[in-house]
Amino acid sequence: MSDQRIFARYKASEIRTDLQTIDVKKIKSSVTKRKHALRKIIANLTLGNYVEMVVLFPDILKFWQIEDDLEVKRICHEYVRTIGALKPRFVIDAMPSIRNDLRSNNEQLQIMALETLVGIPFFKFTDEAFNFIMTMINKRSSSPALMKSAVYSLLQLDEWDHERVMTLLGVLHGIFEDHVGLPTVQVAALKTLYTLHDKTKNLKPLHISVDTALDLLGLIPQLNEWDVSNLLECLVTVVVPQTHDDSYDMIDIVLPQLQHVNTSVALKSLEFIVYLLNYVDEISETVVDRLSNSILTLLEKPPELQFLILRNIILLLLTREKPVVKLEVSYFFVEYNDPIYIKDTKLECLYLLANSNTLPQILDELEQYSTDIDIQMSRKAVRAIGNLAVKLGAEAAETCVDVLMNLLEFGVDYVVQEIISVFRNILRRYPDRFQSDVRAIVEYIDCAQVAESKNAMIWIICNYSHLLPNYIELFEVFCSNIKSETLDVQFSILNSAIKFFVRDPSPRLENMCLRLFNFLTEDVNNPDLRSRAFLYWRLLSISKERVDILTPEVLKEIVDGELPVIELNTKLDQNVLEELELNIGTVTSVYLKPTGQIFHTAKTKHLKDSPVLNSEKGHLKIIKQDENEGPKYETTLENKGVIRQKLQRNSTMNDYDRPAEKVNELKGKRKSSTNNASKLARKPSLLMRKFSLKKKF
Amino acid sequence: MASAVYFCDDKGKPLLSRRYKDDVPLSAIDKFSTLLTDLEDESAVIPPCINHNGIEYLFIQHNDLYVVALATSLTVNIAEVFAFLHKLMGVLGEYLKTVEEESIRDNFVIIYELMDEMMDYGIPQITEPRMLKKYITQKSFKLEKAHKKKRNAARPPSELNNSVSWRAEGIKYKKNEAFLDIVESINMLITQKGQVLRSEIIGAVKIKSRLSGMPDLKLGINDRGIFTKYLEGNNIGVNIPDPQEHGSGVAESSITNDGKKRKTNIELEDLKFHQCVRLSKFENEKIITFIPPDGEFDLMNYRLTTSIKPLIWCDVSIQVHSKSRIEIRCRAKAQIKKKSVAANVQILIPVPDDADTPSFKYSHGSIKYVPEQSAILWKIKSFPGGKEYAMFAEMGLPSMDSYEEPKVKRPVQVKFEIPYFTTSGIQVRYLKINEPKLQYKSYPWVRYITQSGDDYTIRVN
Repeated sequence: MSDQRIFARYKASEIRTDLQTIDVKKIKSSVTKRKHALRKIIANLTLGNYVEMVVLFPDILKFWQIEDDLEVKRICHEYVRTIGALKPRFVIDAMPSIRNDLRSNNEQLQIMALETLVGIPFFKFTDEAFNFIMTMINKRSSSPALMKSAVYSLLQLDEWDHERVMTLLGVLHGIFEDHVGLPTVQVAALKTLYTLHDKTKNLKPLHISVDTALDLLGLIPQLNEWDVSNLLECLVTVVVPQTHDDSYDMIDIVLPQLQHVNTSVALKSLEFIVYLLNYVDEISETVVDRLSNSILTLLEKPPELQFLILRNIILLLLTREKPVVKLEVSYFFVEYNDPIYIKDTKLECLYLLANSNTLPQILDELEQYSTDIDIQMSRKAVRAIGNLAVKLGAEAAETCVDVLMNLLEFGVDYVVQEIISVFRNILRRYPDRFQSDVRAIVEYIDCAQVAESKNAMIWIICNYSHLLPNYIELFEVFCSNIKSETLDVQFSILNSAIKFFVRDPSPRLENMCLRLFNFLTEDVNNPDLRSRAFLYWRLLSISKERVDILTPEVLKEIVDGELPVIELNTKLDQNVLEELELNIGTVTSVYLKPTGQIFHTAKTKHLKDSPVLNSEKGHLKIIKQDENEGPKYETTLENKGVIRQKLQRNSTMNDYDRPAEKVNELKGKRKSSTNNASKLARKPSLLMRKFSLKKKF
Repeated sequence: MASAVYFCDDKGKPLLSRRYKDDVPLSAIDKFSTLLTDLEDESAVIPPCINHNGIEYLFIQHNDLYVVALATSLTVNIAEVFAFLHKLMGVLGEYLKTVEEESIRDNFVIIYELMDEMMDYGIPQITEPRMLKKYITQKSFKLEKAHKKKRNAARPPSELNNSVSWRAEGIKYKKNEAFLDIVESINMLITQKGQVLRSEIIGAVKIKSRLSGMPDLKLGINDRGIFTKYLEGNNIGVNIPDPQEHGSGVAESSITNDGKKRKTNIELEDLKFHQCVRLSKFENEKIITFIPPDGEFDLMNYRLTTSIKPLIWCDVSIQVHSKSRIEIRCRAKAQIKKKSVAANVQILIPVPDDADTPSFKYSHGSIKYVPEQSAILWKIKSFPGGKEYAMFAEMGLPSMDSYEEPKVKRPVQVKFEIPYFTTSGIQVRYLKINEPKLQYKSYPWVRYITQSGDDYTIRVN
């Protein structure tokens, strides 16, 4: 029977016949046949064929008792879990079998049984699970895998019986504070506790002492990668350093983990260190370098992870006035093959990284992107150039505008439209500076096809009409098409027409306004637009009839007042920034929005008070190392002149069972040692042999 | 913590799933495909993370699959989720030939087993393929037998939760060998005039270990050498003459001495290590020591951004005679040491979509027109250092020009392999293998290769 046929809908009766084939002569083949039948059941459950499969429950029970094959057991458990989730009471008959497996001496089977008990929302199963967990915890000698599973199962049990789980919090505390415990179980207990505290509203946030935290950090060498990342995740805001030395100690332990290949570990180490930086007054530049290098190396990953890292880089750049990372802009240049969401995020990074030093390099890149094959990308690049002009001050704006003017000549529609739109922003930021370019822009009036660029074009014509002798003709083109325009373009046509009229009350313009008023008040359905037209109309008639009430000067002030200069506001609220920084590597860091804005009920993380908490993030000093010293790794944090005994409190820190023996230093000085190496490399008889290229790479 | 993991087809319809926590409704995944299409309509940008009705859909794409993890909280460690999903794909890749819709359906039983073992209540557990293979196999185990014969027991070996969770005890080989591959991929972006806009080296030290017992390995690389040599050289303004046989001989000349070398470029901190490396040991003593997992794994990765001279340089000039023909001239040069040879060089030159009737003249290799990619492909099997080859191609363009000449620019893409050579100059000095109990003789092997990365491109104006 081929596997393909397993994955298809069957009737219960069909499978049952298969299950019952017992051929005494061909025991082997009937066993495989039965197993196939069982697999079909699981396939059908996956396909959602519950109604038929429920019928087979008695058969499953029968098999459960007689078979001792692990795969059969697994299928039975899977069956009970799936059906049990839908009809908890229905599967109660399976209890004896589950209990039986729970008492077996096969660890894997025990874990399976526990998971089944935990997965079914029915108090009889839940009770059994609690009992088992309690005996597990009391009986200290149990296996780590089972203990770990038992501890984590509390997370699910919390959904069914919250009260009872709450009574076990003390027990969990006991497990991770236990000095001779099993490292992986300790982390599991901490993680469970942390999640429960996070989930339960009336529970105070978890807190553990610095000493316990140091003990736990000392376990790192004995943990697998996921446990390390969980441990570091749990410690943020849970342990609060009381002295600067506390923080430095912990930073020292975590620093090496920045080089872990697992993104989760590296990112969580980064988060933990950044968190601890709130509790120190100064930090060596090497730490900054290491943070930066760590995050940059992480960029060489599959796109989803790369995206996540880029978002977190944005976060790091936003949260501090003086970012704790130094990043080379070239890492953020868009690659030809990048998925579009990465290109997008890289652009954002480039924008944030731009300053007067990096601007030329970034502009070169952006100019390239503007002529990119991808329309979205090139529009965004143009937009970014415009925003940089607004962000970086007048001098930088000059260069940006030069680039934009070059791009105009490129002449592709969507690029020109985008340029028109950003040019308006630039003019609003520097009203007097780029007047000479206005005419060049207006020449592309026919390119303005999209609402936004039309708006921008109308605005430019209106505000710089003194530079354009033929402004009325230009503007009339828009007026004549007003019927087919979108609402916001209609608004700007109206506003601009009034402005023109107020500046120059000529009969030609008066006529134009009247035509507009007639159209807008009679043929337009939008009430806002209609009222706006009426408002202007009345305003103008009052100013004409009752000059004593509304003088031309006042009128001008009303409709054609001076616009404030715009500025880009990238500053976020302090509290929001703080929360974001404590959420490095979480979903929040992707959205870059505080948790509270998305889920109103969610608990937010805050920095906890401590005698050494920095009141302002800007207070952190970054100390440059003496350049002559060169890269000196050992002195990471010890440049205060005080040589602290590294990891003093952690003298028990053990690095696996056997320490690696010391490697003999190569003789001679460092420079000559490279020569030595090459000699070594040339002699195949020595340790290293060149491997002949037998297979292709 | 993920609440559930789903395998979905390329439309987003679920194939298989494993639920780890009971806090997301069963129907949540059915929304996924509509969410995808909705987003596609809105914009081309679909981030790997969608929020809908308080549920986070975090997903990666793999062949024709979407692998989706659902989560309910914003504080979920998304780094862990993505890292886990990629790891899951890696592990499945070890079990199935290719991980795609069909093979997922065909092997659902073992996939359920793996998903069960690799994650508990949304927390990743054992993810080392070698360890999993120890007790999850296509074969099934009889419990009774397993009980008698402990070695084959179908249960996680006790080491899983010990300090060396990535290696089982009792591994035996007749011949103990360790193979080291140092692979460097070069990514580079070059202008038509030959100016290097950016260049980087992405390196990996891959190990295939076939060693018995619990060996303790020490790897010596010339880290201080590569990581400080250029600095020193620049500080004193002298190029250190290069004595080495291969590697930095060319690296030396290819890394330009523009005097302003930033030390952040080349530092040990750029290294990333597999979980088996004792990081604290490395931190304190700068020694790479580890107990390797059995089989193949990446011991370490690094990424260096330095300015490198293009290893394979192509001077491409494209002349378009509108409405009649297009002429392409390309001169390729292998700017590597004379002794080195670049193998399997492929140069992909874009041509307009509507070009036809190609004719080629060339000195070496072979050229063909690849209409699917709208490009011509020049292949050179072996390209010795210092040599320069040239080609000329002419193609017809339709005389009717329905619209204006499209101003799209696709770069020239270059692929190559250079064996026995690393661009960064990294060298293995020694690999010591010590198994304290067995004390066997072992054979470490090393080979080097430099190849083009995903993005070795030359812009064409």
